[in-house]
Amino acid sequence: MHTDTGRQAKFDQLAGAYGTDLYRYALWICGNDALAKDLVQETFLRAWKALDNLNDPKAAKSWLITILRREFARTFERKVPKFTDVDKVVVVEEREPEPDDRMEIQLLRQGILKLAPRYREPLLMQVVLGYSCEEISAALGIGKSAVMTQLFRAREQLKLSLQKDGITGNVHELY
Amino acid sequence: MSMNFTEFKRYLGAEPRSTDAGFQLARRSAPEFEAAAADADRFESKLDRATLVETPADLLNGLLLISREVPVAPSARRRLSLALAASFLLTTLAAGWLWNTNRGWDSVEEYLADHYRHDGDLASAEVSSDEVEAVFAGLDLQAAPALTSIVGVIKYCPTPDGKGIHMILNTESGPVTVIYMPGTRVVDREMVYFDGVEAILVELQGGSAAIIGPDQQSVSGLYTFVQNSIIPSNGSS
Repeated sequence: MHTDTGRQAKFDQLAGAYGTDLYRYALWICGNDALAKDLVQETFLRAWKALDNLNDPKAAKSWLITILRREFARTFERKVPKFTDVDKVVVVEEREPEPDDRMEIQLLRQGILKLAPRYREPLLMQVVLGYSCEEISAALGIGKSAVMTQLFRAREQLKLSLQKDGITGNVHELY
Repeated sequence: MSMNFTEFKRYLGAEPRSTDAGFQLARRSAPEFEAAAADADRFESKLDRATLVETPADLLNGLLLISREVPVAPSARRRLSLALAASFLLTTLAAGWLWNTNRGWDSVEEYLADHYRHDGDLASAEVSSDEVEAVFAGLDLQAAPALTSIVGVIKYCPTPDGKGIHMILNTESGPVTVIYMPGTRVVDREMVYFDGVEAILVELQGGSAAIIGPDQQSVSGLYTFVQNSIIPSNGSS
């Protein structure tokens, strides 16, 4: 049993370590920053109440993501607007991209939001959360082989969308 | 074993940053492999930049407030699912014990946690389908045979809105507690967590139920089964 102080410290450490990643993931799942903030807030609220269930610190990130995904499925999924204005997604750029790159990046963002959930979720887990294929497999409850297929198809679809828009600055060979 | 080019490209498309030794070796094995890897690296870099978002400045502060403002002790729960009666006294018939319920539960979650702590470890026993049906009939309910056949323990119990039913079901993944509440409105499919267990709330035709199991069990997998298995005797709510 944790003391109140110990419990708070444990929770604060989780919030500091994983709050940003969860927000980024939630934003790409929801496509809306207000919903994403609500989803993350709700996730951590539930985590705070169930904190005693987290016995292995190494499992914290996957535990939080599990809570977030459940909350999204339970409550937030039906709130996601059908058409999302991707321009409202604030982006941090360390350096000003070249015009061609800027267009490609913009098209990639639109492409990500258009991906079917079965492709978008594993891709975001990999790219945003840094999950390995094994971790994605465990989180989604599907085999590693299926995960790799979905990741491959997600990238294939994104590259196809770039080609359709006539972006040829970099040759992206279709696999 | 070395990869052929087709295998290598599929690997690049699925896990371009894999540290697998064979994959890393393949990246450098031939010019066409190196070119494909460089192409994939450029795409990944764009993907990284495309998914970068600015975190709201108040995000972390908002999260830290949770641990400072949201109490965890059952007697002081801040987040309420619904408002209930302040205090009442109920007795259960089957067990014959008197449960002083002058506790003022503030939420379904608090009631379930309190009840489970009091009754959670009921020993499973043999109970006939006839006995199960009789208990349900006492509340003008009927239960599907698929449910009555797996009931290991059943008794009446106090709930915030009157006499309910406490059951332990012997499921394939182990014992699961189901508490039927005749008049308590719940948020359908809401999950609640307490004392290392998780519960899913189920709206029924007449009343509601909570399915409670250990963390590792998927109580949500029983949602539809329970919802379809407990109905009013007259077939309507």
